[in-house]
Amino acid sequence: MFKKRFSMILSVLVLVSMLISACTTATPTATKAAEPTAAPVAVEPTKPVAEPTTPPAEPTAVPAAPVTIEWWTVPSEDFSEEVQRAMVAEFEKTHPNIKVNMTLLPADGYDSKMTTVLGTGQGAPDVAFFWLAEWLPQALELEPYIAKDNFDTGMYYPALWRTYALFNGKVVAMPLSVGANFVMYNKDMFDAKGISYPAAEGVTAEEYVELTGKLADSTNMVWGSDRPRAPFRAIWFSFGAQPHSDDNMTVDGYLNSDAAVKAYQWAWDLVKTNGTPSTSDLETLSKTQATGPVELFLANRIAMSTLNQGHMLAAIKAGKNFGIMPEPYSKDKGPYVNAWSLSVGIYKGSKNPDAAWEFLKYWAGPEGQKFLMDNGTLFPSIPTVLATSQYKDNDAVKAFFKVLELPNVNEWRQTHKCNSTVVKAAADLWDMINLQKIERDGIEAQLDSMVPAAQTALDECRAKLITK
Amino acid sequence: MTASTKSDRKPTLWETLTSPRARGRAETIFWYIVMTALALVFMVPLLWMLSTALKKPEEIFAYPSVWIPAEAMWDNFRLALTKYPFARFIMNTFFLVGINIVGELLSVPVIAYAFARLRFPGKKIFFILMLSTLMIPSQVKMIPLFAIFAKLKLTNSYWPLFLPSFFGSPFFVFLLIQYMKTIPRELDDAARIDGCGTWGILYKIILPLCKPALAIIVVYTFLWTWNSFLDPLIYLNDINLFTVQVGLSMFKGMTGVEWNLFMAATLVVTLPILVLYFFAQRYLIGGIASVGIKG
Amino acid sequence: MLRTWKAMSKRARTEALNGYLGILPWVLGFILFNLGPIIASVYFSFTDWDIINTPKFIGAGNYIKMFTRDPLFWKSLQVTLMYVALSLPMKLAAGLALSLLLNLKLKGMNFFRTVFYIPAVISGVAVSLIWMWLLQPDYGIVNSLLRLVGIEGPQWFWDPDSALFSVALMSVWSVGGSAIIYLAGLQNIPPHLYEAAKIDGANRWHSFWNITIPLITPTIFFQLVMEMIESFKVFTQAFVITQGGPLKATFFYMLHLYQQAFEEFNMGYASALALFLTICILIATIFVNQTSNRWVYYEAEVEERA
Repeated sequence: MFKKRFSMILSVLVLVSMLISACTTATPTATKAAEPTAAPVAVEPTKPVAEPTTPPAEPTAVPAAPVTIEWWTVPSEDFSEEVQRAMVAEFEKTHPNIKVNMTLLPADGYDSKMTTVLGTGQGAPDVAFFWLAEWLPQALELEPYIAKDNFDTGMYYPALWRTYALFNGKVVAMPLSVGANFVMYNKDMFDAKGISYPAAEGVTAEEYVELTGKLADSTNMVWGSDRPRAPFRAIWFSFGAQPHSDDNMTVDGYLNSDAAVKAYQWAWDLVKTNGTPSTSDLETLSKTQATGPVELFLANRIAMSTLNQGHMLAAIKAGKNFGIMPEPYSKDKGPYVNAWSLSVGIYKGSKNPDAAWEFLKYWAGPEGQKFLMDNGTLFPSIPTVLATSQYKDNDAVKAFFKVLELPNVNEWRQTHKCNSTVVKAAADLWDMINLQKIERDGIEAQLDSMVPAAQTALDECRAKLITK
Repeated sequence: MTASTKSDRKPTLWETLTSPRARGRAETIFWYIVMTALALVFMVPLLWMLSTALKKPEEIFAYPSVWIPAEAMWDNFRLALTKYPFARFIMNTFFLVGINIVGELLSVPVIAYAFARLRFPGKKIFFILMLSTLMIPSQVKMIPLFAIFAKLKLTNSYWPLFLPSFFGSPFFVFLLIQYMKTIPRELDDAARIDGCGTWGILYKIILPLCKPALAIIVVYTFLWTWNSFLDPLIYLNDINLFTVQVGLSMFKGMTGVEWNLFMAATLVVTLPILVLYFFAQRYLIGGIASVGIKG
Repeated sequence: MLRTWKAMSKRARTEALNGYLGILPWVLGFILFNLGPIIASVYFSFTDWDIINTPKFIGAGNYIKMFTRDPLFWKSLQVTLMYVALSLPMKLAAGLALSLLLNLKLKGMNFFRTVFYIPAVISGVAVSLIWMWLLQPDYGIVNSLLRLVGIEGPQWFWDPDSALFSVALMSVWSVGGSAIIYLAGLQNIPPHLYEAAKIDGANRWHSFWNITIPLITPTIFFQLVMEMIESFKVFTQAFVITQGGPLKATFFYMLHLYQQAFEEFNMGYASALALFLTICILIATIFVNQTSNRWVYYEAEVEERA
C-alpha cells in the first residue's frame, strides 16, 4: 500500500517533469549577463609534457556543405556567456557554412571533463581551451593551416606566442587574451598615512616591506600588502633565484642558492611586519589561484595588493583612486612580470579540422579578440588590438600595458616543466614561513635539507619527460 | 511520597515543584532548551549563508563582519536564478531524482531480501564483493566507466546517471539487509503456512514493515542525486540538461566566486530536499514494527 | 561448491535459486558498471599512464615507488588513519545521541528534525566553504564568539596542530544524515518491551542499556562500516579548504591520490594507490565484520539458530 501510493506520487512527478522538459524549447536562450565581478582570467599554467607528435594531415579547402563544430568554453568574468554567443553569431554571419555549437561548462569542472574526453578519445570537442600543458599532445598541429592562410603569427606578443602556442617546437595552439600580475596600490590609504606614492617603475623589495609596515593597521584588520602566493615567481627571479638548473639536471645550488635564501628571507621579513593577511585569510576570502582578493582592496582593507587586469577593471568601475606598479624587485635584475595567456586549439581527432581552423582563427585572432574586448572585458594578446581598448587613456591601464613589456617569468617556467615539482618538494618551508614557525637564519639550513628530496623529484620528473 | 499519603491539605511549594507532573513539565522544558540551543548551532551557518546572499560584494569582506547587510539585496536571488536557467536545472534534477528513486525501490528490496533471508552457496562472497565496490575510490573508476558509456553511445544524456540505480546501490542494500534482519522470522513462517510464496513474503510481510528504511532510501537517493556534481559534469554537454550542482558551480569563476549569488542559489537549491524530508518524517517515525506478534 | 549443491535438498535448492534470482540485478550491475572499470584500474596500476597518451607497462614499478620512494604515501596514510581514529567515535556517538534526542515526542519535533538534517543536505563543497568562513581565525564567527567571552580561539584549519581536529569537527556537523538512520532503527523497537521493563521496575537508564542498545546494534554495525569506509575516503574538506596543509597536517590519502591522478597526471600511480587503499579498507571491514558476531544482535538470526 505504501509502495503503491509512493509510486503513484513518483510517477506523477516524473510525468510532470518530462512534460515540462518536453515543452520548453531545446535551443538554449541567451540569458542576462550579471554584473561582471572582480576577478577574471588568471589561470596558473602548468608544465607541458614532452611528446613526439605525429605528422599533420594535408589541409583541404573549406567544404561546401554546412558543417557543425563543437566548441567548449567557460563563462568568465572577461567574457560572459552572452558575449560569447554574440561572438558566435558574428562569426556565423561571415561564415555561413559553419555552425558553431557552443557548450558552456563551469570553469571548475572544465579540467575534469576535458581530461576525461581526451583520455578516452570519445566525445572531445573540435575547438576548446587547451590550457593544461598535459593536453597539448592531443592538440592538432596548426602550421599547415597557418601557412595556407598566410596567417601572421607575429601579431601576438612574442613571449606569449613562444610560451603558449608552441609545444616541442610545433605550433599546436594560439594564445587568447593576456593577463598579468602587478601591484595595485590604494592612493587614498597612502594619503591617509601621508606617504608619497611609489614611482611608476615600482619599489624595491626592501621598500615594499617598509611600506607594508607603515601602511598596516592590524588593530583594525587593515593590511599593508599581501604575501606572494608562492615562491619562485616574479620576485624570486628578480633576486636571481630559480628552482633548478636550466638543463633540468641539478637542484643543489639553485633551490638553496644565496639568491634563493635572500628571496625567502625577504618573504620572512614581509610576514614579520604583521601587516599582511595570513594564508587563512586569503584562502578563506578568495579561493583564487594566483592573486589576492580584490574585495579586500575595494573595501580599503589592504593598501597594496598583487592583483591582475580583471581586478584593475573592477577597481576602475568602482571608481577607486589607485595606481599600478610592477611587483617588487631586487636591484640586481629589476622587475619581472608574471604574465600569461590561455592556449586555445583544435582537437587532434577533430572530424572537421578546416571548419575548426576557421573558427579558431576568428576566436583567437584579431577579430574575435577585438569583439571580446569591446563587448566584454578581455585584454587581447595582440598588441595592435590591445592598443584600441576603450581604456587606453586610463592611467592605470597604461601602466598595465607597460608592465606587460617586462621580462616574463612564465617563459622560463613553461619551458622548464619540472619546476613546479621541485617547488612542491620545498612546500614545507613556505608553510613554515607563512605560519611563522621558522627563524630567519634557519631558512638556509632548511633549504639545504630539502635539496635531496627535491632532487629526487626532479629526477623522476625528468625521466618522464625523456621517455615520452 | 504520593498524593494519597498526604491528607487533602494544599500541597507545599516543594511538593508542587517536585511532583511527577511538574517533573514531567520541567523535563520537557529542559529538552526544549537543549533542542533550541542545538538547533541554533546547526542553523548558524545557514543564517550566515542567508546573510551573505543578501549582501553587496563589498560587504562580504568587511570587518568587523557584517551580519545584517545594510540593504537586503533580495534581488540577488532573482539574479542568481536567472543568470543561468536554474528552473530548468531544478526540473532536470527532479526528473533524475524520480527515476533514481523508482530504480532503487525496485531493485534494492529484492537484492536485500536475498541476502537477508535466503540461503545460497557463495552468499558471503557476493556480499563482500558488493561491499568492496564501495571501497574503491571513484576517481579511478571514472575514466574507464566513461569509456564504457561512450562506447554505448550514451553520453550527453541522462542514461549514465540513472541506469546504475536500477541495479541496486550497495549502500541501500546493506541498509535494508540490516533492517530486515531485525524482523522476526516467525512472521515469515506464519505467512508461509498461509500459502505465501518466497517473494510474496517479501512484498506482503517484510516490505510493509520496512517503511522507515525505505523512507531513508528515498531521502538519501534524493540527496545524492541532488548533490551529485562530477557525474553530471562528465556526461552532460548541453547546458539545458545540466543539474543543479553543475549549475551552482557556474558561479565559481576562473579566479573568484560570486559569493552572494552562489549562496543565494545554494539556499534555493537546498530547499526542496528539506521540504521532502519534512514530509518524509511521517514514514520515518510513524511506522512501528512487529505489532502484536507476542500477544 | 558443486558438492554443496548436490547435498542440498530440493527445498534448499529452490531457496538458493531464488537467492540467485534476487541478487541478479546487482550482479548484472556489477558486471556492467564495476567489473570493467575495476579490471582497467588494476591494469593501469601496473602501467605508467598520463591519461592523454597510451599507457606503458612497467610491472610493479608503481608499487615499488609507493613503498620506497614516496614519503608522501606514508604521510598521507598516517594522516588518514589518525582522522579515522579521531572522527569515527565522535561521529558514531554524536549520531546516536542526536537520534535519541530526535526520538523525543515533543511538539514541533518535525521542525527540529528538519533543522538538524539541514547540514547533511548541503553538498560537501558548500559545507566546506561555510566552515572555512566559520572557523576563520581572525573574523570567523566561532572565534569572534570566543573572543566575546575572553578566549583566544585556536587557528583551526591553519595550525598544523588543530587542523585535523577541525576537519573531524566539521564532519560531526553533518551527523544529521546518520541520525535518521539510527532513528529508523529505533522505530523498529517494539514499545511493549519498554512497557514490560517499566513494570519490572527498570528505570530509563536500564531500559536504554538493555533494550535500546542491543536492538539497534544492527544499525550501529551498519553505521560503523559505512562511516569507516567514508572516513578512509575523506577528501572534499581537504581539497576545498586546506589543500592538504598546513604542513601536510590534513594531507589525506585521497588528496594524494587525486593530486597524482589529475594534477600530476600520474594515473597509473594513482591506480596503484587506489588499489592499496581498497585492500586496506577491505581488511578493516572484514575485521569489523568478524568481531561483529560478538556484539551485534539480530532478532531474526536468534530465531534462526533456535
